[in-house]
Amino acid sequence: MAAATGPCLGVEELGLLEKSLGLKKGNKYSGQGERKTPVLQMNSGPSLTGLTTIAIHLVKQAKKDQLLGRTAEEKAMVQQWLEYRVTQVDKQSSKEQIRIILKDLNSYLEDKVYFTGNNFTLADILLYYGLHHIIADLTVQEKEKYLNVSRWFNHIQHFPGIRQHLSSIVFIKNRLYNTH
Amino acid sequence: MGFGDLKSPAGLQLLNSFLADKSYIEGYVPSQADVAVFEAVGVSPPAELFHALRWYNHIKSYEKQKGSLPGVKKPLGRYGPADVEDTTGAAGDNKDDDDIDLFGSDEEEESEEAKRLREERLAQYESKKSKKPALIAKSSLLLDVKPWDDETDMAKLEECVRSIQADGLVWGSSKLVPVGYGIKKLQIQCVVEDDKVGTDMLEERITAFEDYVQSMDVAAFNKI
Repeated sequence: MAAATGPCLGVEELGLLEKSLGLKKGNKYSGQGERKTPVLQMNSGPSLTGLTTIAIHLVKQAKKDQLLGRTAEEKAMVQQWLEYRVTQVDKQSSKEQIRIILKDLNSYLEDKVYFTGNNFTLADILLYYGLHHIIADLTVQEKEKYLNVSRWFNHIQHFPGIRQHLSSIVFIKNRLYNTH
Repeated sequence: MGFGDLKSPAGLQLLNSFLADKSYIEGYVPSQADVAVFEAVGVSPPAELFHALRWYNHIKSYEKQKGSLPGVKKPLGRYGPADVEDTTGAAGDNKDDDDIDLFGSDEEEESEEAKRLREERLAQYESKKSKKPALIAKSSLLLDVKPWDDETDMAKLEECVRSIQADGLVWGSSKLVPVGYGIKKLQIQCVVEDDKVGTDMLEERITAFEDYVQSMDVAAFNKI
């Protein structure tokens, strides 16, 4: 079984997202199947299945469409990273695979403040929730090694309303390793 | 604090390492701090300083909202790493220096001022003190002044002694006391203010009349 049972994945995560979007609690989620894929049972009509699908629906419900991207290009990027979140981040279990993910993200974030570049989007929120338990397990040296990820993560966890009850992860810039 | 000259490679290098683990100059949202540093940098940092470049491009995306970003601009020297000395030399930055200048000229002036005040008060106190007559310590002395021999003119001797004038010295009654072999000594009373007249001074002045005076002794010394 894959590491889909992280501390804040799926159902719990949607609760956090709901709150950070300022939505009133009213949605009922359930976990479906072995992987606990979240399902949202709508009051009328069909149910929605899957983390990103439900997340996008919640954002639209909260009328915060800018979180899905402002331009067509940005919208596509949000979509890309949401996909990455469920197909890559959530599927990794071994240390080795996690290391590769972090390395990729680290070089990707080198020239970016947010995942889509200059704007805070749903991609940042869901990747933050998805990476939280991974980053929490990193050593000081590793956090230093994935400096760009650390910077981005620290930035997002300070974003108002996002972190909520999740632990605040401490990042220290170790002056000893500073070569310049 | 401060990045130094942000137009210089060293300054940009500092900015770059400062921004390695930060998205913004201050806090977690773009602010006037970013605008201030952005304006000081002026041009896009070189590609190898990717942290500075990332930040630069990001702040650039706020160009239109520049004015509405939160915060108040401070002098450039107030931003950046705390362990780097500010070398921007802007007028406002000098305050920083004063804060840590233990030997600041301000303090010296203050202490001089205080010293002056203290001396003034001391002088005032002294003059007040001296005006209080009750506090003046006086002594009554009985001096024995001995002549060389019986041929010494005792009247002249007494005249000489009484001619000694000093502040705080008042001569009193005198008498001639026979010592023997027809020799008489002059016993003379005087009142002195302790602070102004000492017995040493009296002895010196009296024995200065060496034609008449052989020696002088203090026969009695009483505090009044």
